[in-house]
Amino acid sequence: MKKMEEGKMKKKVLSVVLSLAMTATLFGCGNSSTNTSTKGPGAAGTTEMEVEGEDVTTLNVWTFIELHQKFYTDMAEKWNEEHPDQKVKLVLSNMAYDDMHNKLSLALESGEGAPDIVDIELGKFPSFLQGDIGLRDLTDVMAPYKDKVVQARLDIYSKDGKYYGLPTHVGATVAFYNTELLEAAGINYEEIKTWDDFKNAGVKYFEATGKYFATIETTAQWMINLMLAQKGGGYLDASGNLDINNDKMVEVLTYIKGMQDTGAFSVVPGGQPDNEEAYPSYNTGEYAVQIMPFWQTSRFLNYMTDLSGKVAIAPTPVWNTSDNEFKSIGGGGTGTAIIASGENADLAAQVMAYIKLSAEANEEVWNVLGFDPVNTEVWANTQLTQNPENQFVKYFKNYPFDSLNAIKDNIGTIGDMSNEKWPSINNEFCTVTLNNIFENGMDVKEALDESQATLENEFQ
Amino acid sequence: MLKKFFYSQKIAPYVFILPFVITVLLFWVAPISNGVLLSFQDVLKDEWVGTKNYSRLLSDKNFFKAIFNSVKYMIGTLVLLIPFPMLFASLLNSKLMKRSGLFKSIYFLPALTSVVVAGTIFRLMFGEASSSLANQVIGLFGASPIKWLKGVNTSYFALLLIACWRWTGVNILYFLAGLQSIPTDLYEAASIDGASKWQQFKKISVPLIKPTTVYVLTISIYAGLSMFLESYMVFKGNNSPNNIGLTIVGYLYRQGIEKRAMGYACAVGLILLVVVMLINLVQLKITGTFDKEEK
Amino acid sequence: MKSKKIHDRYATIAMTILFIILAIMIILPIYALFIASFKPGGDLLQYGLNLNLNLERWSLDNYILLFAGKHEYWLWFLNSIILTVISVLSTLAVSAFVGYGFAAYSFKGQNVMFVIVLIILSIPLEVVMLPLYKQMSTWGLMDNYLSVILPFMANASTIFFFRQYLLGIPKSLLEAGRIDGATEYGIFFRLVVPIMKPAFAAMAILNGMSAWNNYLWPLLVIRSSSKYTLTLGLNTLINPYGDNYSLLIVGSFFSIIPIFILFVCFQKYFIEGMTAGAVKG
Repeated sequence: MKKMEEGKMKKKVLSVVLSLAMTATLFGCGNSSTNTSTKGPGAAGTTEMEVEGEDVTTLNVWTFIELHQKFYTDMAEKWNEEHPDQKVKLVLSNMAYDDMHNKLSLALESGEGAPDIVDIELGKFPSFLQGDIGLRDLTDVMAPYKDKVVQARLDIYSKDGKYYGLPTHVGATVAFYNTELLEAAGINYEEIKTWDDFKNAGVKYFEATGKYFATIETTAQWMINLMLAQKGGGYLDASGNLDINNDKMVEVLTYIKGMQDTGAFSVVPGGQPDNEEAYPSYNTGEYAVQIMPFWQTSRFLNYMTDLSGKVAIAPTPVWNTSDNEFKSIGGGGTGTAIIASGENADLAAQVMAYIKLSAEANEEVWNVLGFDPVNTEVWANTQLTQNPENQFVKYFKNYPFDSLNAIKDNIGTIGDMSNEKWPSINNEFCTVTLNNIFENGMDVKEALDESQATLENEFQ
Repeated sequence: MLKKFFYSQKIAPYVFILPFVITVLLFWVAPISNGVLLSFQDVLKDEWVGTKNYSRLLSDKNFFKAIFNSVKYMIGTLVLLIPFPMLFASLLNSKLMKRSGLFKSIYFLPALTSVVVAGTIFRLMFGEASSSLANQVIGLFGASPIKWLKGVNTSYFALLLIACWRWTGVNILYFLAGLQSIPTDLYEAASIDGASKWQQFKKISVPLIKPTTVYVLTISIYAGLSMFLESYMVFKGNNSPNNIGLTIVGYLYRQGIEKRAMGYACAVGLILLVVVMLINLVQLKITGTFDKEEK
Repeated sequence: MKSKKIHDRYATIAMTILFIILAIMIILPIYALFIASFKPGGDLLQYGLNLNLNLERWSLDNYILLFAGKHEYWLWFLNSIILTVISVLSTLAVSAFVGYGFAAYSFKGQNVMFVIVLIILSIPLEVVMLPLYKQMSTWGLMDNYLSVILPFMANASTIFFFRQYLLGIPKSLLEAGRIDGATEYGIFFRLVVPIMKPAFAAMAILNGMSAWNNYLWPLLVIRSSSKYTLTLGLNTLINPYGDNYSLLIVGSFFSIIPIFILFVCFQKYFIEGMTAGAVKG
């Protein structure tokens, strides 16, 4: 059927291919062996701490934020210095956001393969508090730090009075103004006190420049949740039933729709300010203002480099200055949890409480990560918060903590976020509801009714 | 004795197909039966819930959306990825075409890139910003920037473009293989009879490569209905605006893994199994594969 | 005759132009990736993926990161190669065995079994992945490459292809083998396997591509990042909290090269194998 010649040829090719594969294998091998021997935080994947001594406990940590790895290892080294008899060695694996949470849920379900310590994102947290809770109650290890920490940030990771997650930051929502652009349009951001001021400033800005003032969100609810919380609203009714088409929600979304109708506000590419497509829009001045949690500072520093020295941080607007509304709410976050069935769960809990809640740790949260630490004692330490060498102090036009201290005593939350229904509600809002209203022009009430029905079907 | 039995010509065929039988039992029959049991449970609470999962499914808009999206995507890929590669293959097969080997290699290149890579490239290309590649291209024709991945039709276009980009070259090779088995004297005879190239393509090539076409059709249906990663990469996750990128597999993943509703997801999986099987049977019937096997 | 020559000339030029345009469209994204691999990863976030050369921003930093940086890229690469090679070899071996059974004999139940092959052929395994996942977990095969390889070993479309291919071999060859005293299995291994080489080449490429790209199922059953394949690993670099585009882009670009070389070597046999296989119907 085939000629001999070809048969020979094939053999030749096969041997070439095989030797290619071999070299590739050897090549890969050589490299990977040098890799596994490297210590310290890597660009991706697994990192192992180097710890000397005999009685060292190894703890497996899963993260989805690479930056956390370095922070955790730095702090674990401090722990080891202070507790030579309880030394730990962290083995950190960094995974993609969705993958990590899904793997965790699979691991908890099957009862094997879970790490000792895991970072769980706020939006995903409630789904791990259903049924048999596989996470360790952290109330005991939190006790020494509790009175210095913003309570609202502990509550979001709690259920039935038990605390399951250690917060990383407050994520207080603040306003970021591009002062250079605003000044050119004759707007003084310090005069913006209410949402009406905010809207009017937007219109004025748009008339002067032809560019957008701020974004309408379709894939996140940073501004929406703030406005909703300020009105005392939420996503569930008092008895925990689904209630997303309530009057306050309609009011807030209708108000935002009104902003969009002025033409001065528009959906930014990517649908929210903390998105890889949105950064260039802000960086090039297509949009001037962001209402975002405080941790956006690090995104400014890394992804909006052209705005250095131009951005001022201010408290967000409120509906009515005479009401005692929330001046801010905490947004986003990562709760570090301990797997209850882990062999060393108790030690892991103590170590992580130290790593995340102690004053030393919270100073590092600001220095390294640029976040607003949950331990508010740190906020008053001007040596730290106004350190001229700090990269964030250098980047922003005013002292970042000035605004934080101004709103410190009135930071609220939307309590519904710790409800087990929250992940689904959040998912529906960010994929369907907000898109229907702000992209497809659907009536606010109608869109909310539709989503209410979809979700009711899911929760039946 | 046993050895003789094992080596007999009667028993040998069963030994040969044994691995397949085992695979079917272990990886199809067992999980499907298991899935049937699970579909009547709330796995998280570990209790039997009767037909609740199924009744919920009937009023689940996203479930139907997922089926609709997957089928729509499949049809789109069939329309684009069968006729055009067939035509290109017969052109490349023509004696008039030189250096066709170079083109074949180039066209195959995308199939070798990982979907993770391809999806990321296309996601970045179809960005909303006016500086994104896709918006730059339509800008040349004076159009204003489009939010590609937010519209139903534009995102469909983007997904189909990825499919075309990745699979045109592979399908060209399939059809080339089919064409090369057609004896050249058929074309010569037709040419002497005065048939044009187009007539030759229509009357000789298309009918004679039907087996190849059926094969490509079958694997394209499979690929279309099981599409997940393309959407997952283009929308940077399993969520897309108004679920325009939600596919059958994506929905299973969302319910079973992301929402931890394993029982419900098993019900979804079983219904999907039936749907896919029906589509498959219709296809086999239409293309006449069954008739041939039964003969 | 002369006019026909000119006509042919025009046809060649027109077709060449068509295929060059097609080639450019197909290469464009890879070209964009190539350019991006020389620019800082952050540029993608700031300026998007584009075709601007910006030579002044070019550097080899990404390649230095790829070859000398601290990351698991090469481990993933190696895992992918190992897993792909094992999957392909085992799938080819098992499927050829089964395909021969269907092609060379007529036996009771054959039609039923073959209809099952045809049905399974176009049902995505993902439809049963959740109960299958539970099953693998019960068997203790989590985080084990076996659970990635086993379900795909007797692959329906490969079996189908081999059967079609083998229907073309003359029965007299098998009879001759039997007369020479070879056992049924001896015939398969000594007479049939050697003439299946082109079919193996074709299926090696196709199965290799799908094994190399397999994502969802390995994602479910593989846990430790030291066992990640390239597909799983590269995706960990995309993350809402700090993308690592530098490594992603250069790693992506680099991952195409070795497979492309393999393909160029195999291409001829691919077409040859496909020609002798599916076509016979």
